[in-house]
Amino acid sequence: MAGSALRRLMAEYKQLTLNPPEGIIAGPINEENFFEWEALITGPEGTCFEGGVFPAKLIFPPDYPLSPPKMQFTCEMFHPNIYADGRVCISILHAPGDDPMGYESSAERWSPVQSVEKILLSVVSMLAEPNDESGANVDAAKMWREDRLEFERIAQKLVKKTLGIPI
Amino acid sequence: MRTAGITLISVALTCAVIGNAYYQKKQFYPSVVYITKSNPSMAVIYVQGLILVFIMNTFLRKIFFGNLRAAELEHLVERAWYAVTETCLAFTVFRDDFSPKFIALFTLLLFLKSFHWLAEDRVDFMERSPVITWLFHVRVLSLLTLLFTINGTMIEYAYMSTLTKGASVQLVFGFEYAILLTVVLNITIKYVLHTVDLQSENPWDNKAVFLLYTELIIGLLKVILYVAFVTIMVRIYTLPLFAFRPMYYTMRNFKKAFHDVVMSRRAIRNMNTLYPDATPEELAAADNVCIICREEMFTASKKLPCNHIFHTACLRSWFQRQQTCPTCRLNILRPTPANNGPRAQNQAPAPGQQAPQAAQAQGVNQQVDQPFQMPAGFWMGLQAQQGAGAQIQGQNNAPNIGLPPFQSVPPGSLPLFVPPFPPMVHLPPVPAPPPNLTTLTDEELRAMEGNMRQAVEARIQTLQRVQLLLDAANAMMSQYQTAAATANIPGPNVGSAAEAAEKEKKEEKANHSEDAGPSMSEQGKFAGEPLPGSSGVSNESIVQTDTKTMNATTSNENHATPSTSRTRTEPTDEKEMLRRRRLQKFIAQTTTTTD
Repeated sequence: MAGSALRRLMAEYKQLTLNPPEGIIAGPINEENFFEWEALITGPEGTCFEGGVFPAKLIFPPDYPLSPPKMQFTCEMFHPNIYADGRVCISILHAPGDDPMGYESSAERWSPVQSVEKILLSVVSMLAEPNDESGANVDAAKMWREDRLEFERIAQKLVKKTLGIPI
Repeated sequence: MRTAGITLISVALTCAVIGNAYYQKKQFYPSVVYITKSNPSMAVIYVQGLILVFIMNTFLRKIFFGNLRAAELEHLVERAWYAVTETCLAFTVFRDDFSPKFIALFTLLLFLKSFHWLAEDRVDFMERSPVITWLFHVRVLSLLTLLFTINGTMIEYAYMSTLTKGASVQLVFGFEYAILLTVVLNITIKYVLHTVDLQSENPWDNKAVFLLYTELIIGLLKVILYVAFVTIMVRIYTLPLFAFRPMYYTMRNFKKAFHDVVMSRRAIRNMNTLYPDATPEELAAADNVCIICREEMFTASKKLPCNHIFHTACLRSWFQRQQTCPTCRLNILRPTPANNGPRAQNQAPAPGQQAPQAAQAQGVNQQVDQPFQMPAGFWMGLQAQQGAGAQIQGQNNAPNIGLPPFQSVPPGSLPLFVPPFPPMVHLPPVPAPPPNLTTLTDEELRAMEGNMRQAVEARIQTLQRVQLLLDAANAMMSQYQTAAATANIPGPNVGSAAEAAEKEKKEEKANHSEDAGPSMSEQGKFAGEPLPGSSGVSNESIVQTDTKTMNATTSNENHATPSTSRTRTEPTDEKEMLRRRRLQKFIAQTTTTTD
């Protein structure tokens, strides 16, 4: 019998393949290694990220699902909750105990009940509604709050970039 | 590409050096002497040697590991840098022994170390890899055998050398290889465990525990080795700076392993004592999938106080990290009554059925006087009252219900008759005790008996509740007395409320026996009324329910004697006083019992 982390990831992959949530595709990069996934997330409709397809990478720890995976966008992103290098900063991805921003209650942290699907759905809703209180990207948070138009312009530019459309 | 270039350049240089020497000296022996005397030539030869070792290393790595994964390579490079730095630090301590042989030995050690790291990574990855080929097993087994032999030989050599020639740099080597030997041992144990697990069809729950203990024991061995080494080094040479970083990490790992083992033991103990195994019915009722591993639960599942069910093994590994329910984050180490109460009551398996037989034997009178002789029966009673309230009516054979339902008195044992006692107060939920007291060990019983603050508080609360119930009963009794008085019974002559009730009962039976049923069921409804809130007891609620009951009784009364609807005042003061006194005495008694 393979390890529990592997079995759980396989189960989740199967589930995601059979009933894919709308606007999300995810799966292991390589069938030999189930601990590195890539995901494609479409920008939520009605937001400045609409129409974009954003690739991201998910790295799972050996003790998944007891510890959360790490998620990092592999394309350029400009968002209050995404670091400049693409790492996503949402509470569901933080293990209870460590609190990088010092504002999250433990109720919204990682627990084994969460799953890849829930993470990706949270990321979609994070794209739609940035939380400017926890600034992973302070510039983006400031712009989101003070100059929404400019923020939307940059987001639209990124959307076009991910689609390969010349600006 | 770059490596190939460097290799080519190095080979060309070596050829040039040898060719030059041979061209100048024309003979083998003078050429060798020429090369060893010339520093630039020797430098070229050394570089060539290093590159040859490197190529050899790459070759062996290809044989034993094939292609490295990106993570493995990263890991390797990172550790290699530390190892090289530490080796350079070690050189400073042994600068007197500095020689080509010395460098060669250190290089060999470095490469061997890299093989250990890689083997460790590979075996760790076994658990996460979807396919394990035969090639993998052959490679790991042969590599482990090889490393084991080399380490053993080197330790023996170092030991003999130290014995014959005294302390030298061989001390460091002997110690380093001893550490590597523990690493090999650790890898081997892990490999065996993983292999056994892979062969079996079912998940092997205890593997994690074995791994934890292996980690602990190996960690202890390493700590002992490091401490011994540092002590020896300090006595013979100087402070071995190069050993400090690995020593620090070893100690940290050991501490973590120790912590893990402690947490794991605590989790296991908690699970064995605090949480019941989920029954097949419960598993069927839930959707039967453990939310932690997303697999079906057939056996070995536990139910938490919050009603969530998980695999025992999954829960254990989670509780090692956190003592909360994965689903609702209820802190499972301190389940507060407000959290576990309502559900526990809903789920209480057939409440009352396992109440001690002793409770049945005792009369209600005794029960009221000494309700604390059978706390279990008491709890069960409270639960039964809510769960089975509707069944109470007409049942004469429910004597195991510990508290108020007085109608369950066997006739004759007590001349007291009161209609079913509706739950007058909205009882705050009480923690459900384990079902069967006889199976408890002494410790558990002691824990349940409880001398901690929490337990005492709970007990006092319960006593207060009992007091309230008694007050309410008292109030109701006076109502009955009044009713009896108005029902044309010589009031002052009533010896006791019991007699009044008895008479009332007779009257009811005689006159309106057909009315008794409906009215009883009406009160049964009260009894079966779901508890809307689980908050604390309030006098107000008592008064409210009391009024309800009163109304019910009054209507009953009106049915019984429609013509004699008189005022229901003038409670016999004398009786009241007596009752009060008795009550106070009882309360005093119970409080002393608590203390």
